[in-house]
Parts: sequence; C-alpha cells; structure tokens
Amino acid sequence: MTSGPYNYSYIFKYIIIGDMGVGKSCLLHQFTEKKFMADCPHTIGVEFGTRIIEVAGQKIKLQIWDTAGQERFRAVTRSYYRGAAGALMVYDITRRSTYNHLSSWLTDTRNLTNPSTVIFLIGNKSDLDGKRDVTYEEAKQFADENGLMFVEASAKTGQNVEEAFLETAKKIYQSIQDGRLDLNAAESGVQHKPAASARPLAAAPASNNNCAC
Amino acid sequence: MEDVLDEIVSSEDLQKFEKVYHEQLHQGNVTHKAQFEYAWCLVRSKYATDIRKGILLLKDLFNSHAEGKRDYLFYLAIGNARIKEYNKALHYVKSFLEIEPANQQVLALEHQINKRMEKEGLIGIAVASGAVLAIGGLVGLGIALAKSTNK
Repeated sequence: MTSGPYNYSYIFKYIIIGDMGVGKSCLLHQFTEKKFMADCPHTIGVEFGTRIIEVAGQKIKLQIWDTAGQERFRAVTRSYYRGAAGALMVYDITRRSTYNHLSSWLTDTRNLTNPSTVIFLIGNKSDLDGKRDVTYEEAKQFADENGLMFVEASAKTGQNVEEAFLETAKKIYQSIQDGRLDLNAAESGVQHKPAASARPLAAAPASNNNCAC
Repeated sequence: MEDVLDEIVSSEDLQKFEKVYHEQLHQGNVTHKAQFEYAWCLVRSKYATDIRKGILLLKDLFNSHAEGKRDYLFYLAIGNARIKEYNKALHYVKSFLEIEPANQQVLALEHQINKRMEKEGLIGIAVASGAVLAIGGLVGLGIALAKSTNK
C-alpha cells in the first residue's frame, strides 16, 4: 500500500459479531487482503485487522475487531463492543438459526455501544443462493424495523463486502459532520488524528514570534 | 494500536473476571470457563506480574482440559510474547501450527512476534553502533588532545 502508516486523519473502531461459522473472519479477510480464506478455522477470542480507506477525500483508518462466534468466548468478547463506532452484525443466509439469533446480538450491541454506533446487518454467503434459508425481503424488513443498514454479501466472491465496510464508514463520517457524534466523548469509537500536514501549522506561531522580534 | 500484542485489558474487566474466579476459588470449585476468562484478561494486562499469573492459569488449563487446548496454546503464546519471552511464545505457536498448519490467526501472530524480535534486535545493533561512534569520538578527541599537547 502506498499510504504511510500515519497518513490518515481519523481512526474508526469496528466490531464484527454474529453466530459461529457465519463467515465473520472471512469477511474481514476479504476486506483487508482481498482474498477468500477457504476452510476458515474457528477464531480464538478476537482477531484484529486494519485498512485505510477514503471517505469524502479524508483518509480513515479502520481498526476492526473480529470476535469469535463460539459461546465460550462471548463473556469476554462483550468488552470489545465498548467504544465501537461501527458494528457489522453477520448471519448466514443458508442457516436460519443464525438469523433467528440476531435479536440477541442486537440487544448486546445496543446495550454495550452508544446511540451513535452504526449497525450494519450483513447476510453472508449470498453465493449459495440455492441453499438459501432466509429471504432477502424478510431480512430487509427486520433491518428496516430496527433502523439497521443491510446488504447480502459474499466473502467468497467479494460481492458487497467493500460496500458494507465503506457504507458504515460513510455513515459514521456523516454523523461527525452533522455533529451527532461527539469526537470528545470517550467511547465514540472515533479518534481524530491531526494529519502530518497539520504540523507545520502548529509550528507556525513560533516562526511568527521570530518575525515580530 | 497496531496488533493484538498491543491491546490492554480495562481494569474494570480484569476486576470483573477476577472476582468471579476468586468467588469460585473460595467455594473450592473453579470452572474452566471462569479460569480461562480470568487468564485471558490477565495476559492482556499492562503488568508483567499479571501476565505471568495468567500464563500459570493457562498452563494449568492446558494440562487439565483437553477440549480447549488450542485456545490455551494461543493465549500462552500471546502472554509470553507480551513479556518478551519470544522463544517460549514461538514454541507455543509451533505446537499450534503442528495441529493446524494453515491457521491464519496463528500465522499472523507468529509474524508479529518475529517482527518484534527483529525490531528489538535492530535496536540492540543501533545501541552497539552508537557505542562504536562514541568510542570513535573519544579516540578522535584523544588524538586531537595528543596533537595539541605535542605542540
């Protein structure tokens, strides 16, 4: 990647949540590496990934916490929700049980994040349409009723994966612009990083003083 | 925050899971779950003594609870890497990869550990070359002094 490690003006924290085996890690991998990981083993605890994206001409670093779906990890992974600006909530369109559990994931998310956290619902494995167990329409209705953004995506083909991560970032960025998200709040999930180009400005008063003398 | 080795547990979380563990310990019946959750928090502490305690709890789990072995190996590697016991950390990584050679999460951890070793190795070299420069400077000063006294 050409962008340097400090060449971004915001950091957004994301979490990825949902039942075991819905493809959370594969979505993350597809987004950060642009590759599909076949035979993805169960995640242990949490996995971490980053990628720098651009929204409205601003470089934003996404820090993504991908949580393990196994129940045994759930008590501790709950602490990763705190301070998330974006939550990607994933189910598998070929397994109805993963869709049925969404309300429990949503309750956790609402309880543990803040009101400005953007929640994006992803119906993964859209490439397996023949094995579909949840229709697009009913998931869309669930999303609308709960004020969630929604797409069906495929970590395997890459379809809509970029869109889900980027649309979440756009919505967060919009909240900042609208003043709905308070950057100074401890748990907003957003950090504003003065860009490298801001440094000469910070140094400017000193040189002005020199001139005044 | 660049990778999982940088991450620090919040003190509230550490206290929360510590409390559950100690309550069970007091009752003489510690579940694998409570011990693992407490250990997982301990190895993410900023204090080395906590991390060492977490490592002991994980070793105990590793020997007593076969079902969770891959989780315990993973956090044993993380704990050791965080207290700079890199060789031990890599040993746990290797044991894990013998069972699951293609595990991306563990391969990524191995990469991070190697990167840290390399970085700290380079710092060592930088210190050594700094010393060489300093000695060079002293020798130069010595020569200059010798020249000036010769005059």
